[in-house]
Amino acid sequence: MKFTLIIDDEKKTMKIREKLTIKDVLKDFKIPLEAVVVKKNGEIVVEEEQVNDGDIIEVIRVIYGG
Amino acid sequence: MSCTKCGSENVIIHRRYSGQHLCKKCFIETIQKKVLKDIKKYELIKKGDKVLVALSGGKDSTTVLDILSILAERNIIELEAITIDEGIKDYREKGIEYASETCKKLGIPQHIFSFKEHFKITIDEIMASKPPRKACTYCGVLRRWILNKEAKKLGADKIATGHNLDDEVQAIVMNYLEGNIENLTRIGPATYSQKFVTKIKPLREIPEKEVTAYVMAKGLKVHLEECPYRKTSFRKKIGTILTGLSKDHPTILYSTLRGHEKIRNALKKELKGESILRECIRCGQPAARDLCKTCTLLKEIGRLKDEIHSHNR
Ligand SMILES: [Zn+2]
Ligand SMILES: [Zn+2]
Repeated sequence: MKFTLIIDDEKKTMKIREKLTIKDVLKDFKIPLEAVVVKKNGEIVVEEEQVNDGDIIEVIRVIYGG
Repeated sequence: MSCTKCGSENVIIHRRYSGQHLCKKCFIETIQKKVLKDIKKYELIKKGDKVLVALSGGKDSTTVLDILSILAERNIIELEAITIDEGIKDYREKGIEYASETCKKLGIPQHIFSFKEHFKITIDEIMASKPPRKACTYCGVLRRWILNKEAKKLGADKIATGHNLDDEVQAIVMNYLEGNIENLTRIGPATYSQKFVTKIKPLREIPEKEVTAYVMAKGLKVHLEECPYRKTSFRKKIGTILTGLSKDHPTILYSTLRGHEKIRNALKKELKGESILRECIRCGQPAARDLCKTCTLLKEIGRLKDEIHSHNR
């Protein structure tokens, strides 16, 4: 199973064996949930959301200032 | 998992501090309601006020403008935006572009002012001269000077800024750790002073993550890029620590904010009568000493030598 991960302007193709949640993906990158908003196929999702084959996961960092 | 409010299956946010799960529509509604409720609770705005949003084009100030436009639409307030160009190459241009777009879309008048026109120097030029202080100090002080001066000229009653919950708690912790106890008394939902236009922070109780989610859920166009000068700041270090703490203690930002409110009044009593504001002898803006902070900083980097002959230099 494959999914696309977009993080910090970088696009990566991720191959995974078992089903993951957004939370698992963030954990692998050591990113706290509070520091990001995540989109799956263009829609904001919660961290409990499952990642499925072919999904595009976009991690947007919460940035200071504005 | 379904929306705590309406039962919809399309949940977009899980608030760990309250246990709520919310769909897009209910999330947008709760944010707007919370901000408007806080404006009432802390009496940030009166009917008929002319409110100026300090709009950078980033997520926080754009959210403030978006929510206050609800009050403008109902003719409760008069709303305008003020955007300041500090002169940060390859960064600020995008913010200004988005800010102008948002104003056009919402039908809100926008005023743009620059460091260059006011001080004849940009923040990039200041930093290139290897000055004694950090960029954020010059930026913050000089920006406030322009905001106050122009807001007065525009006849504004309030200046609304985009400070969110994370910003506020960072400021509380930073000032505490640095021992700037007097500064702690000034942190709050509004800052009143006879000589400054009142500043209000409508997003003070909204977490940074939720401000980001709000702009995305509403499809607002914002400049989501970190200022190049901010990367090394002390504030950023504190922010990283607090975000890490929130992982196991989801309510820590709110408890820090509430705790500060409790000690603020005690501190105020303790420190009362400390500083009396005067007028800067050079520019006429409010000042604690002969020169205001802006003129002090400009003098320090040799930008006032034509006008002021100091024996110390
Ligand atoms: Zn709902
Ligand atoms: Zn001055």
